[in-house]
Amino acid sequence: MRVQLIGFGNIGQGLARVLLEKEKYLEKRHGLKLRVVSISDISGTVVDEEGVDLKRALEVVEREKKIIGYPGEEMSGLEAIKTVDAEVVIEVTPSNIKTGEPGLSHMLAAMKRGKHVVTSNKGPLALEFKKLKETAEKKGVAFRFEASVGGAMPLVNLATEMLSGDEIYAIEGILNGTTNYILSRMTKEESPLELVLREAQELGIAETDPSYDIDGVDTASKLVILANAIMGVDASYRDVKIQGIRKITPEAIKLAKEDGYVIKLVGEVKNSHLEVAPRLVPVNHPLNVDGVLNVALLRADIAGDITIVGKGAGARETNSAILSDVISIWKNGACL
Amino acid sequence: MKISLDVVLKDIPGQLVKALEPISSYGGNIISIVHLREEVTGGRVPVHVTFEVEPPRLEKILRELEDRDIWVSKVGEVRKKEKLKVLLIGHIVDTDARDTIDRINDIKGAMVADLALAMPHPEKESSARMDIEVSGDDVAEKVIERLEEIAREKNLIVIKSLSKNSSGI
Repeated sequence: MRVQLIGFGNIGQGLARVLLEKEKYLEKRHGLKLRVVSISDISGTVVDEEGVDLKRALEVVEREKKIIGYPGEEMSGLEAIKTVDAEVVIEVTPSNIKTGEPGLSHMLAAMKRGKHVVTSNKGPLALEFKKLKETAEKKGVAFRFEASVGGAMPLVNLATEMLSGDEIYAIEGILNGTTNYILSRMTKEESPLELVLREAQELGIAETDPSYDIDGVDTASKLVILANAIMGVDASYRDVKIQGIRKITPEAIKLAKEDGYVIKLVGEVKNSHLEVAPRLVPVNHPLNVDGVLNVALLRADIAGDITIVGKGAGARETNSAILSDVISIWKNGACL
Repeated sequence: MKISLDVVLKDIPGQLVKALEPISSYGGNIISIVHLREEVTGGRVPVHVTFEVEPPRLEKILRELEDRDIWVSKVGEVRKKEKLKVLLIGHIVDTDARDTIDRINDIKGAMVADLALAMPHPEKESSARMDIEVSGDDVAEKVIERLEEIAREKNLIVIKSLSKNSSGI
């Protein structure tokens, strides 16, 4: 099966590493031989119909920070999607919550050309889920995005495939590892947010501009994807009521703690209402997970409550979800 | 709805059945019956009955009791009190904490039962934990709406508890 890799940053490189590691396993266990026929980043594209040498691609990017030195050509990801033959496009460019670009154009172009899309890119989905889903259906291609929410946690596929007879009527979750890390540390040490944030930045857990995480933008994007994909709610990022954790004080955390509660940044969908806000969570509640872990609670009408906990980020963990989506496309026989 | 009914019965056989029959004949589900024998006065025994019944039938039960010459001393709906817990962050005292509490207490069926306040420094934002007793989900919703309105006005942050019934188990 031929795949195109659009985006070769943290996640893209992580996928290359996982593919090298799993090459034999994929063939033995699933009969799947993956050939990466093109890799694009902001500098250009490397194309090889016989399969790009992933080891070399990783070495080039490590050394030169861009793929064009492979050597590649000055071809954009969008052009590569339009001109290179492949069955699957893996879109892992950086997420943009304002415009969804360039990911949105990449995904739509791929679908229009009859290519299946696998992505971890939240922005386009949080803004234009319905359009993407409908385009995929119209063109008869698969559109899979397990990696966009909760990293390695098999959340979307669990709800839509394993629980397909259930109606999920509410979802609550901690969907951002950075804020969970910050709040967990604040709870443990009763330190102010600024201090813990600075340490998290030094450890590489938080970005230099932390607003995407601590202002709830990331959680809201993921919540929109879950609401659309699992509950069939036609919602966009703009519909989410958002409050971040910037104003949480150590005193508030202490008051909560004295009473048997912790403060967590929780995303909740219920009755088509989407809200991200710090919430009081009882210490013995399943949503009380520590550190960078993510957790989601699916409330199903037949199965009851189902809680799933896992690593919500990380290049390697996220690629577990990307790989499972690719394998699923392969197994569905769409590109034999 | 759950009803609490106090009747005063003559201390002779057959009186209790006479009082309970109208409840069961109108489909009421009797939850408990307590004889307050220690309070017998003038040959009469107070009895406390708790039962569930569809609201429109309550009036009929009471009329029937009256027809049967049963003395009803007290009747009322039992509303289970629930505790709503919230945190507030901001200039809680400077923006008139008394007013915040009063405006919650103004809601029928709601009462601020406890307030714990932490003020790190007079000029810094303070934090408060508030326990509010509410007599049902509808009241709880009203309290949250009122709190959010106050928070907007006074530039406070409200941290709500997880949704009710979110057991996760």
